Amino acid sequence: MRWTLWIVLGLFPLVDGHPTLKTDQNSLETADAALNHQNGSLNSVLHLDDMEKAALETTRDDPAFPMKELNTSHYPATRAAKVAQHYLNYHHGSPSKWFMVHAIKKASSEDIPEVGKKYHIQFSVQEQATKEIVGNCTAEILFRQTEVQSAPEVNCTCDDLLKIKTSDADHALYHHIKHQPEPMAGMDIPDSQGNIPKEMEPLWYLGGIGASFIMWQQSNESTLYNMAHVHSVKQLNSENDLLAFEYVVLLHDMVSQEIIHWHMQVAWNPTQGVKVTQCHLLPKGTMKQPSAEKHKI
Amino acid sequence: MKGVIFFSALLVAVFSQKIFVGDQVLRIATKDVEQITLLKDLEELEHLELDFWKGPTHPDFPTDVHVPFASLQAVKVFLESNNIQYSIMIEDLQSMVEEEKIQISRSRSTEQMRNTNSFDYASYHTLDEIYSWMDMLVSEQSNLVSKIHIGSTFENRPIYVLKFSTGGTKRPAIWIDTGIHSCEWVTQASGIWMAKKLATDYGKDAIITSILNEMDIFIEIVTNPDGFYFTHTQNRMWRKTRSINSGSSCVGVDPNRNWDVGFGGAGASSNPCSETYHGSRANSESEVKSIVDFVKSHGNFKAFISIHSYSQMLLYPYGYTKTPAPDQQELHNLAKKATDALSTLYGTSYRYGNIINTIYQASGCTIDWTYNQGIKYSYTFELRDTGRYGFILPANQIIPTAQETWLAVKTIMEHTYNNPY
Repeated sequence: MRWTLWIVLGLFPLVDGHPTLKTDQNSLETADAALNHQNGSLNSVLHLDDMEKAALETTRDDPAFPMKELNTSHYPATRAAKVAQHYLNYHHGSPSKWFMVHAIKKASSEDIPEVGKKYHIQFSVQEQATKEIVGNCTAEILFRQTEVQSAPEVNCTCDDLLKIKTSDADHALYHHIKHQPEPMAGMDIPDSQGNIPKEMEPLWYLGGIGASFIMWQQSNESTLYNMAHVHSVKQLNSENDLLAFEYVVLLHDMVSQEIIHWHMQVAWNPTQGVKVTQCHLLPKGTMKQPSAEKHKI
Repeated sequence: MKGVIFFSALLVAVFSQKIFVGDQVLRIATKDVEQITLLKDLEELEHLELDFWKGPTHPDFPTDVHVPFASLQAVKVFLESNNIQYSIMIEDLQSMVEEEKIQISRSRSTEQMRNTNSFDYASYHTLDEIYSWMDMLVSEQSNLVSKIHIGSTFENRPIYVLKFSTGGTKRPAIWIDTGIHSCEWVTQASGIWMAKKLATDYGKDAIITSILNEMDIFIEIVTNPDGFYFTHTQNRMWRKTRSINSGSSCVGVDPNRNWDVGFGGAGASSNPCSETYHGSRANSESEVKSIVDFVKSHGNFKAFISIHSYSQMLLYPYGYTKTPAPDQQELHNLAKKATDALSTLYGTSYRYGNIINTIYQASGCTIDWTYNQGIKYSYTFELRDTGRYGFILPANQIIPTAQETWLAVKTIMEHTYNNPY
């Protein structure tokens, strides 16, 4: 079963932050290459806060007591948990399954000299469609001290992830989309008022799951990403049994408050899960921001 | 304006029996004057029967054009071959006109509702609608509510504050503002709801009645009117003011980095293109200066609540420094009480703490300044949600958000009332 494999894989730190779970390595490398290419421009958007780094320095622990207990209400724990959320969504999410951090129960961090900082988080997540809460998640998140952006390395496991049964919903959706006469497309999801047409909801979820990959890859200790908006989604022709979509999504970074546009291609089927096959950052000003009064009810 | 456009389209449809099946409305984003010229040339081609809703004027503004089905391919080829970016604003005008017919008849019936009891609190409103609503509330309850003009925005819009008072002179006062960041729509919407709630509950709710018998309450609902107008017309995600930055093509200053405390320090940007640009100097923004002048000349504020979204947090000073505020313990305990009260209604959970530890370092923030002015109970709210919808919170969450937030605000107001200083 796919999830067993992910839990097993989840026990090993990912090498270089590359996701190892998918079958099509070439397209992933395309995605990774695209991301690496964008790192330079993205760093100019993110404010890596020197004051913040200095603050971390002063609280570095005595090596004899490496683990530092963190306040679960404070931002270091929140940001690390959000990374775990993105990781969890990319590996387990679907157009019927989207997780948000529900509560952080316990958090600690340790400085690993010459390497970076590793966080240990115990938290619960809530699945957004079913509203079910998965209570026992643990994650280790390693933020490496690098000159350029590198994806945090994440191990994350949740007991009871299985209890969220969306396989039927996923299969039904898959068949529904496969048998549509026209390719699906949408814009401005949600609209200004926060409305989402019922038939667009799965594509909104799918966008969120695909965006989770980008947000995971782009995260560091000075970011907190959420997907703000789906600017556009368009179904693409796919030769195989994967459904494919082209998205432009808006991501919001809470720390810098910047809204950034990413173009991505996402492939999905219920058995293989979600895969981002291509993505790149769109320069500021390329796309018009979400339009105001959408001419919809 | 939108209503006029669609009503006109409808009229044309009715009287000329014209149908718009397959017609599209394109939004064209030009990047320079050359592209504007190309569009103007396109406008000249009469056989295409193009109808420009927003004519090509300036590269900064989008051009909207209704393209009949027969001309679609030609127009798109023209745009694409000239590298002119466009998006399809309306996929099929005919279905839009059908929907709009329904909406117009619906809104015609709501237009009949000319009082604050029939106002739709469960939807997002425009600046004009909110300003009209404010006048309605004042005229309905002129014994309790008045409207004060505290200044003008960069683009010369009036800035209004509602004053709730049962008399006296410069009574100890409580301040609430919403919408300082214009894209945080649930806040202005909650501000409207809370103002109405306050007006309704005086004489009915024991705590509100006691408070208003001895204190005044001021509510500024649209704290950033220029930005708010921009979120309705151009960019739903706009956060800052709309002031022009000299020497830069980027517009706007983050009004929550423009206050005179730790101004320009870490936690704000000196780049005009940044979303957290602090401005050329403290209080450079008239939207901020108006409040500063008002608060200073009043001189008797005891609580100051500035409302933002999103993240579900209740924050107290400081944001600019890790040094704990002298009243940190009391502020922390009160924050716990307030967020506990909030969660009783719908189970919504909030984090709380000082700004710098709970969210990030931020300099030039509102409540750091108000706290340093001696207004002890200075709080910032970050309302729903935690990132699923973010800024674009569905309208059906406005009232639940306002209701639960009101419980927290009341807790703070009650504590302020019971603990004079």
